[in-house]
Amino acid sequence: MLASLLTIAALAASAPARAEAMAVPGLPAVKVQDLHYGDVLFYFYQHDHFNSLVRLAAYRDQGRLAAHARDAELLRGGLYLSLGQHREAREIFERLLADPATPAAVRDQAWFFLGKVLYAAGLYEQSEKALRAVTGKLTIGLDSERHMLLAQGLMYRGQYDRAIAELDGWQGPPQWMAYGHFNLGVALVRVGRPERGLQLLDQVGLIVTENPELSALRDKANLAIGYAELQAGKPAAALAALERVRLSGPQSSKALLGAGWADAASKEFRAALLPWLELQGRNLLDAAVQESYLAVPYAYAELGAMAQAVDYYEKAISAYDSERVRIGESIAAIRSGRLLTAALSADGDGREGWFGQLAEVPDAPESRYLYHLLAGHDFQEGLKGYRALDAMAKNLSGWSDSLDAFTHMVETRQQAFATRLPAADARLAVVDVGTLNTRRDVLQARLEAAFTERDVTALATPEEQGQLDLLDGVDAELAAHADDRSLDDSRERARLARGVLMWRLDDSWKVRSWQASRAMRDLDAAVYDARTRQTASSRAREGAPERNAALGVRVVAVSPRVSALAVRVDEAKLNQSRYLADLAISELESQRQRLDEYSVQARYSLALIYDRATSGQVPAPAPEQQP
Amino acid sequence: MNGMHSMRTTKNTLVALLLAIGVSLPVAAQDAAPMQDAAPAADRSALDAEVQELRREVVDLNRDLFMLEEDLLFPASTQIAVFVSMDIGTFFALDSVQIKVDDKEVANYLYTARELEALKRGGVHRIWLGNLKAGEHEIVAYFTGQGTHERDYKRGATLTVEKGVGAKYVELKISDRLRKLQPEFVVRVWE
Repeated sequence: MLASLLTIAALAASAPARAEAMAVPGLPAVKVQDLHYGDVLFYFYQHDHFNSLVRLAAYRDQGRLAAHARDAELLRGGLYLSLGQHREAREIFERLLADPATPAAVRDQAWFFLGKVLYAAGLYEQSEKALRAVTGKLTIGLDSERHMLLAQGLMYRGQYDRAIAELDGWQGPPQWMAYGHFNLGVALVRVGRPERGLQLLDQVGLIVTENPELSALRDKANLAIGYAELQAGKPAAALAALERVRLSGPQSSKALLGAGWADAASKEFRAALLPWLELQGRNLLDAAVQESYLAVPYAYAELGAMAQAVDYYEKAISAYDSERVRIGESIAAIRSGRLLTAALSADGDGREGWFGQLAEVPDAPESRYLYHLLAGHDFQEGLKGYRALDAMAKNLSGWSDSLDAFTHMVETRQQAFATRLPAADARLAVVDVGTLNTRRDVLQARLEAAFTERDVTALATPEEQGQLDLLDGVDAELAAHADDRSLDDSRERARLARGVLMWRLDDSWKVRSWQASRAMRDLDAAVYDARTRQTASSRAREGAPERNAALGVRVVAVSPRVSALAVRVDEAKLNQSRYLADLAISELESQRQRLDEYSVQARYSLALIYDRATSGQVPAPAPEQQP
Repeated sequence: MNGMHSMRTTKNTLVALLLAIGVSLPVAAQDAAPMQDAAPAADRSALDAEVQELRREVVDLNRDLFMLEEDLLFPASTQIAVFVSMDIGTFFALDSVQIKVDDKEVANYLYTARELEALKRGGVHRIWLGNLKAGEHEIVAYFTGQGTHERDYKRGATLTVEKGVGAKYVELKISDRLRKLQPEFVVRVWE
């Protein structure tokens, strides 16, 4: 019983898992200068850290993140940190810090994240050194978290005065202030200044919020105040705080138990019965519920209602016994390996990450105590590891299928290449870009000569060229009959015809020159295209077999890595599932043992009541006298 | 009644509980208290180390496979990628983007709230990765969503790209034109 109460108390006083929610680095906004860095951020902002990291690593190796090299490195460290890969994260941050070229702003963030990695590893002294090495300004979110990590690290080392100095007077955003007040309150109580400590916890306990994290923190603060005031002999103050705890929250059972004890401390046993009886409808694995089964008959006994006390002791014995049987069934189900199936089916969207949301689970033996088991840190961590391994196994299985397709693709390409090669070679053989080029050069020279000499006939159309040729023929014929005066009229007509033709050619010289130049440019472009395509085709023809072969080699080389890793992941999954089953069984066994002890206590108390009734010390139980 | 064992036990429990509060208040633990009779810590840390090592290898392997897949399916000589980005996005609530290349639909993407949030925060979505042969191609993007006053809105943007021998990247950016209180769709080609 003491152990279970220690658990309650530890929960009551614990600070929220704030750092986990903030595990994602709150990097300042970056103006994207590389589209691929934006693609990495697209997954990062969706909290798909695995995909984000894979893309970041690939793009980095492909040289696509040049404009964001240091931001990308900082993000890579942050992503490793959020995936729980502390060693890789630490290496990256340390490398950034060792590089003198790292800008001061990036350096500050690297110090911060390094401090966070060291904190997560429990190296609080080193973490403090790193966190204090931040010299510039961090974003307000990171700076707040830095303060909190410093204070919590000091508290873990028992240096409460320094933690108080860190937090006292610190101002941050409202949500962080709530955590700051909580931790400061706890530290003050610890150093013997309960008045101010409780005052701060009270501030947290009175927060008006709908934020689930802050609501949980408020419940914890109220629970801590309640039990601290009970300890100080102030049941009314305890009750006031405990009544502020939400009835549906995870702290409600402890609050109800404490509220009962506060009433009992004021001798208000009838009032104490209200919260204690409320607890009786709840899960018996909850230490507060177990306790209530003994507290209720205790209150009835204090009220002198011995019949009810007897009834409730008997009810307690029956409840403990039934629960023992149910625990036995669950242990058997867990031994048969059904626990993890239930745990994973109760999980959210299956994406690997820190948080597995526990949904409604059926009342089957294997899943009956899941909620209780998941409340345990070791089990939660183990399940997180199992879930990560499960995600890895699915990832590798997907790649294994893809690799089969890749192999097939490479083979098909090689076959297709071999099949198409003769036809492609034949086509390439008839394309003589060299001759084309020579002809183009000749044409260019002719055009330049025509421009230089203003040779209008050089730009004549084929029809006009025909006419000129015809006129040349006529002129030659006429010249052969130079003495024949009867041909003078024909000579005049030929002269006129040539004159008209030449005038027309001369008149359109400018237009024709421009058209010829443009046609020459088009020809240049066409010849260039032909040359480029021929080069590309030849290169492709020559390089394709090598490229295909190289891809084939890469596919073949990576395949054993996938299968070997898949085997190791499966083995690790098996080990992890055994560990979880052992953990669960061990926990349920200890619960069963605790129930045995409670059952013995209830039986003993019952026997005492009957014994004393027989000896006349107390009135014999009489059901009709129940209040 | 005070002499009864059950009462003593219960009261002693209260004392134990109160003491426990005093002991445990000091540490602002971030995690829930460990369960009883947990398996040895050495087991857990060995398993944790194994998970970490495997995850590191899986990340490295995924990186290699990601690059291999791209080299195999979308070689640089023919590769073209179309990205969608958003700058503010006050005047336009994006629902979907459709991409047509040379009048053939290659992508039709419906955005989730989570993805839109990622876009607004500066993420860039690679909506299509494909292959195009060298030469001129027409890319048309249709943006569907709600404009100002919650009116249904569909806009198209056209771009003619000259695909050369290297990879080509096209960014479709949705931004706000403050002067006209209208969304603006900008197409930009990156080399």
